[in-house]
Amino acid sequence: MDSLNAWLASRTSRRRLLGAAAAAGVAVPAIAQQLVDLRLPGGNGERPLTGAFPGKGSMILQRTHPPLLETPMAVFDQSVFTPNDRFFVRWHWADIPTTIDVEQFRLKVFGHVDRPLSISLAQLLRLPRVELAAVNQCSGNSRGLFQPRVPGAQWGHGAMGNAKWLGVRLRDVLDLAGVKAGAVQVRFGALDKPAVPGAPDFEKALAIDHARDGEVMIAFGMNGEQLPLLNGFPCRLVVPGWYSTYWVKMLDTIEVLPAADAGYWMQKAYKIPTAPHADVTPGAKDFPTEPINRMIPRSWMTSLPEGQVVALEPSIPVGGIAMGGDCGVAKVDVSSDGGRTWYRTTLGPDEGRYGFRRWDGRVPVRRGANAILTRCWNTKGVAQPMRPIWNPGGFMRGNIETTTIVAA
Amino acid sequence: MKSLSAGWIAGGVIGIAAIALVVVGSPGSRTRPAATPAMAPVAAPGSVAANGFTLASTSVVLPAEAATFPAGPHADAVNAHCTACHSASMALTQPALSADQWKATVTKMREVYKAPIAEQDVPAILEYLTAMPAQRAAR
Repeated sequence: MDSLNAWLASRTSRRRLLGAAAAAGVAVPAIAQQLVDLRLPGGNGERPLTGAFPGKGSMILQRTHPPLLETPMAVFDQSVFTPNDRFFVRWHWADIPTTIDVEQFRLKVFGHVDRPLSISLAQLLRLPRVELAAVNQCSGNSRGLFQPRVPGAQWGHGAMGNAKWLGVRLRDVLDLAGVKAGAVQVRFGALDKPAVPGAPDFEKALAIDHARDGEVMIAFGMNGEQLPLLNGFPCRLVVPGWYSTYWVKMLDTIEVLPAADAGYWMQKAYKIPTAPHADVTPGAKDFPTEPINRMIPRSWMTSLPEGQVVALEPSIPVGGIAMGGDCGVAKVDVSSDGGRTWYRTTLGPDEGRYGFRRWDGRVPVRRGANAILTRCWNTKGVAQPMRPIWNPGGFMRGNIETTTIVAA
Repeated sequence: MKSLSAGWIAGGVIGIAAIALVVVGSPGSRTRPAATPAMAPVAAPGSVAANGFTLASTSVVLPAEAATFPAGPHADAVNAHCTACHSASMALTQPALSADQWKATVTKMREVYKAPIAEQDVPAILEYLTAMPAQRAAR
């Protein structure tokens, strides 16, 4: 606690100095590269901001090649819909097509079907449309906050975004091809390829009943526009309520399988412990696993950044976003006394149960550092737990998050 | 899937035929819209449009990675063997990991992701990775 206080004090004084300098009109020296500190436990959390990627505004640069771009938290305070040019980016393989000809592109449907199809985009645009809001969240969002730390992309909370997805039902496309009796899964492939021959092509699979549930869609529109290339142009899978590993970008193959997909990306990668909450003892090995699947409730305070100094008042306004996971948000509570007392917040408009929901409320504060907790309950009655989980993949973080605000 | 009733199949066939007609479109709509009546959606060159939504061909340039692994013993080895597939930042941003964790990562890169790294080059790569500043700082 002492080290936290010391750190807060150092931040406070620095902020005040910067604030005073700005107020007095003193020129702040130009910084060659603006850095964001993701405040990862144990350090090494500083990342540059970049505006160098096509179709993207200012993003947190995790990796240039292949791109891993994180959305700054302040973006989530602007709207429950994440602008396309601020939407996070995550690619596995280095061979990413940089040119897509919409007249040449074909979406192929084959495998355990009556009529293999090669669908042009002009045809796809003529199928019955659906549009829904849904959060696309990386399985490893917030991985950098796991303790003990785990290897992998060291994301803060910004490997997520919410958009209005426009497209066609996967079910309609599968029905067009005619799924044969005995189908078990549907496997999805994409235009990106490994840079090295023999490496496992990125493919994901869903159970046939899930693929045909009428919610899983092939999206070509994102917040009213075509997808940015880095978010999967010309079309991607949208799997509402499930982690984005299944939301295959640059989707170009749909293969109906008469057996479970035996490929690397379903059998070995993106596996979570079957234990409740995907939680195992740090360092545990040889526990039973399953493919990651449904998302869980989460919430974040976005109205004030970590460490912000505010004028001391009996209570302060706080706001942010929440998601229910695989269902809607029922309520969001906030606490400033470690979770002993919770205050209900007011939810913003419901834009769809799979999307973000705005919340706003007030919490009492005392002089000094105030740890403000946010807790989402989803419509299935699941609440965010206080205690963080651990698993070696750094998947499915969902505990109550804390933002420290200094009242002075 | 369960066995299907004749009625379900009949309904399904009609439904599929309807969707197929929508997808295939009328014969006229399959030609490029250059000389079609004004009612048809007009797609600019390099784009397709239907039902009020247009998709335009896209070409982008991704920024080249300028950064390499910082100088140090065996920096040549990691730059030669790691950066074809991913930026140096992938390793440089990792938290403090044990030597065993780094070995497991390099093994995965070789055996699963088929990184062309000869076995004899692995010790040098591990030596570099475990000596990176963020790794040393935590020890």
